[in-house]
Amino acid sequence: MEVEIKVEPGRLEPKMVILAGEDSEELRRLAEQLSRLPLGPIPVSRGEEKRLLPQREFLRFYTDGKGVSAQTAEETFAVRLRLYELEERLDATRFVRISNGEIINLDRVTAVDLSLSGTICMTLDGAVHAYVSRRYVKKIKETLNLGRRRRHEESE
Amino acid sequence: MKNLNRVWTVRVSAGSVLGLLACVVLVPYVTLTRGAAPLECLLCAGLGGTAGAATLPFADDGKTLLLRSGIHFMVTSALFLLLMVQFYGWDWAVLLLLEGMLALLYALIWMGRWIGWYVEVMQLRTLLGLDAGPSPLKWRETLPYLPFALLLCLILPLLLRWAEHEIQRGSFLELPVLSGVLYPYVFLPVGGFFSGVSLGKRQGVCPLYPALCVVFVLVFVRMACFFSNMADEMLVLIAVFSTLGGNVLGWMYRRAVPKK
Repeated sequence: MEVEIKVEPGRLEPKMVILAGEDSEELRRLAEQLSRLPLGPIPVSRGEEKRLLPQREFLRFYTDGKGVSAQTAEETFAVRLRLYELEERLDATRFVRISNGEIINLDRVTAVDLSLSGTICMTLDGAVHAYVSRRYVKKIKETLNLGRRRRHEESE
Repeated sequence: MKNLNRVWTVRVSAGSVLGLLACVVLVPYVTLTRGAAPLECLLCAGLGGTAGAATLPFADDGKTLLLRSGIHFMVTSALFLLLMVQFYGWDWAVLLLLEGMLALLYALIWMGRWIGWYVEVMQLRTLLGLDAGPSPLKWRETLPYLPFALLLCLILPLLLRWAEHEIQRGSFLELPVLSGVLYPYVFLPVGGFFSGVSLGKRQGVCPLYPALCVVFVLVFVRMACFFSNMADEMLVLIAVFSTLGGNVLGWMYRRAVPKK
């Protein structure tokens, strides 16, 4: 199958068009799978300002008592979505829930440390600290293994 | 939450039943009586219950883990103390020894758990493509210092003691200048301190190094009994304080003056 990527500056969400001679079951399945890929940007706001940011920009999403916040390397925004809704929208090989109130971007982890009391602390971009709940360690490892497998398959 | 409460209830109940059974079977042999007293049965059931719930505090982390584990230890040690009082009376030396052994067991379980967590963290680091970091309790980093510890804490004192014994054989006055003065007040503290500093500067705090030195000193103390009657127990304290002090000082130096 021929695959072509066209870059369109300014476009926030990727759009895929399948060109085929005739409709088929496989094509419909492919289209459905592609539409489910979590590649879309996340809507965030700060005061009156509303923005759509690509997923790679985010360091973490966390609940802070008032609602859900999203942190990038420079700023923090409010997010209207709940954490479980974000989990469905975010790339599952990159974002993982590390506690009841936090989802982090694994691509931005620069250090993992363990305290004497058994608390696992992940450092994001060398500055932001996120604390991992032990109940989520297994899931984090699974996510990391999944990401690894995908990268391996892509490289083959 | 309900599920967690159910797990606690099941574990504590199962532990209590097993504790009670153990009491009925074992206590008559320990106390040389026909059967266990009701209070002993109650305490054994309580201890069984705490043993059943022993692993549950470790499911949490941070402050909750410390709090739950601390409460579990206090409850266990109180029940254990009361049970031992039933067997040995209020003999403080025996009770302290037994409580000390319980505390040591707790420390060992904690260390085992911590190593398990550390291995998990190492796996996470590897999967994230980060440096895996030092080995658990830095045992691999401590290994290069093993020959020195062996030499300083076992071979050297044995040689000095043996040499003195041979030199002064037949003499009516034995003066242990080498092993009784120079070794405990110069060789061991200086050697222990500076090797600790060296290790601390290179690898940070390595708790196994002082422990290793203590083990070798204890072996020396045991072996020295065969050809001398000197009290060498003090060497254990000298080894602990010199190596640990040096190691911590080296680690502080490493933190204060980072590598360029």
